[in-house]
Amino acid sequence: MFTTLWNWLVNALFGLPGAIWRFAVGFLTWLPGALLRLPGWLWRFLWINFKPLMQILILPGLAFILVFAIIAVWFERKFLARAMLRVGPYYCGKRAGLLQVFADFLKLFMKEIIIPYDAERAFFTMMPVLVPTLPALALVLIPFDQNWVLFDAGSLSLPMFFAIAGLAPLIPIFTGWAANNKYTAIGGFRVAFLYISAEIPLVICAAAVAIMAGSFDLVKIVEAQRDMWFAVPQFIGFVIFFLGVIIEAERTPFDVPTAETELVLGWRTEFSGILFGFTMMAEYVAFQAWALLFITLYLGGFNGPDIFGSTMYSHIFWLLLKFAILVPIIILLRCVFPRLRLDQTLRLGWYYLTPLAVLNLFIVLALKLWGVA
Amino acid sequence: MTEPEIKPDIMRISWGPQHPMSGQTRILLDVDGEKVHRIIADLGFTHRGIEKILENRTFLKGIIPIERMVMVDTANIGLGYVLAIEEALGVEVPERANWIRSMLCEMTRINSHLYAFGLQAEATGYFPAVFLWTTIDREVLLDLMEKLTGARWSYNFFLPGGVHHDLPEGFQEEVLEGVDYLRRRFQQYWDAMVENATFEMRCKGVAVLKKEDAIRLGATGPVLRGSGVDMDVRKDEPYAAYGDLDFKVITETAGDSMARLKVRFHEIEQSLNIIEQVANEIPGGPVKTRVPLFARAKPGEVFSRVETPRGEMGIHLFTDGGMNPYRVKINSPTLRNMYVFERLAELDEILVADLTVVINSIDPWYLDSDR
Repeated sequence: MFTTLWNWLVNALFGLPGAIWRFAVGFLTWLPGALLRLPGWLWRFLWINFKPLMQILILPGLAFILVFAIIAVWFERKFLARAMLRVGPYYCGKRAGLLQVFADFLKLFMKEIIIPYDAERAFFTMMPVLVPTLPALALVLIPFDQNWVLFDAGSLSLPMFFAIAGLAPLIPIFTGWAANNKYTAIGGFRVAFLYISAEIPLVICAAAVAIMAGSFDLVKIVEAQRDMWFAVPQFIGFVIFFLGVIIEAERTPFDVPTAETELVLGWRTEFSGILFGFTMMAEYVAFQAWALLFITLYLGGFNGPDIFGSTMYSHIFWLLLKFAILVPIIILLRCVFPRLRLDQTLRLGWYYLTPLAVLNLFIVLALKLWGVA
Repeated sequence: MTEPEIKPDIMRISWGPQHPMSGQTRILLDVDGEKVHRIIADLGFTHRGIEKILENRTFLKGIIPIERMVMVDTANIGLGYVLAIEEALGVEVPERANWIRSMLCEMTRINSHLYAFGLQAEATGYFPAVFLWTTIDREVLLDLMEKLTGARWSYNFFLPGGVHHDLPEGFQEEVLEGVDYLRRRFQQYWDAMVENATFEMRCKGVAVLKKEDAIRLGATGPVLRGSGVDMDVRKDEPYAAYGDLDFKVITETAGDSMARLKVRFHEIEQSLNIIEQVANEIPGGPVKTRVPLFARAKPGEVFSRVETPRGEMGIHLFTDGGMNPYRVKINSPTLRNMYVFERLAELDEILVADLTVVINSIDPWYLDSDR
């Protein structure tokens, strides 16, 4: 036993330089060829994966999210300023303060990140990075065309959207706890209350849509709306979902969790620098995901007349156009409505939206039974 | 301030002085979830010892620091002190000066109420649109007052024995124009705030203060009148020209935050009426009687009351025969209303979200309560 081990050790020790040498020689002979072939490999990789890469980098992916966040912030500042008899951003950029958002984004990058002494460091720094991730994950399920879906989950796509979105309130709750501040704690719990009260009517409405379309597949749901948008037969569901989108995106009449005049900034209070930037961006990403789902379920999704000669491009165009009309409406609600209280928002969710969603479901079932839809 | 003890299962939030809506004060809240159990107002962050400063200045020079008490409403505060001095020195005021005083006081009253609306709108989570509208409309009044007194905020226009100078030429017409403009604008504020269903949800039935409680706790101003008590110093003990002017004392019976807001709304209408009356019917004559610069008052004490936008302000002035007041005690409306505010959590259920609405419905000015 001992001799065997000893022999092995001696062999291993004396054999090691040889092994390293042989590996080095092999590697160095392999390397020039590999380097020569590298562009070819990359090119093949790009060629095979061109569409998914484009989708990740451009349309439902990175560029779309960033461009939307920038345009939405700019629009919000500039147009709400008009409502307030102000001018809004003015000096950065040649026209209308277009570069102000970039300047602020850069500023957020440069700022010091202050972590409170009592905070749970790991959670505190990790969570803001995760906040935009979940809505962005939900975004991959949205079909921009039959052939332009980043992740085609088939008949699982609608349930999957709600599963991912259902995880979203966990992060504010964790952050609220991790920051170890009373305002963040209250804000975190408000998030939990709010999302639960909003998501139940939303799920019931989505179920009604799925029944009418005969499928949970978002692509099939859109295709079922070719002749008539579901907003027409399911008008109640349309209104409920519209309110639900505003609640989920924490936009103004229901921005209870981050209520500035009450809770400073709710669960975001303690964040600074780019961590705060991430939480701000998350708001817009969630807004984007829910607004696109709303359009997909009720406003005919990517349906529209063929104008570019290519169905795919015109589909993408129509979806983006509907999105571009819906978003300003929701943003401009902010200058008309004061914020509701938490209990009022919850009462809205539980007393009005949920029963109405059930009513909507029964209407859809009746239509389906009588064979109208 | 020593912090009172907390019961178990109750979280204490320190609301302010670093909070977007708190202003220069700290309010300790004992909350159980969203419900506020107890409110403790920790005042005194802006104490500047104005009462002590007044002791070291002659009567005339005292008008300058006392106006710093409420920057948005310097005319009413200044008038309170000037009335006390006049009583102490035994000075008669010409009638025209009294009418000018009433006009300027009503202008700052509107100014102050506009500020209160803006803050109330912002407190409900209205995007600060309404706040900026009111700020812009205040410009109309500020321009008028600048034309009259030469300053936008701190006028030092009222002197013992009258006002500093007469109305400028063509001033009455400009005032009437401004009144017309503001009447139109107030209809818009009424639509944007009182008629707005969401705003009503936030303010109606919030922090109800019953009539008995309002009297017992010593509320004053719109807080008292919003609870249905018909009390206004301008009517009860007319000073300046209020005895000759025609206006109503506004009361609302509901006693909630909305009622206090409505009282302010209707008071603005009355103030506009008063300004219009003054501009139309102001009598002629001199605007000041001569008072020696370093006048000495007889030993004794005087008390003057004025109705500021926040409520009744009393100034108790002790004189000892010198050129300065011996002692000045200011009874400020915000301090009285802050006592009411502290008790509101016991009288009615208040949620954390309601707090900004409630505190802005009493329209506090912390510099006023801290003096």
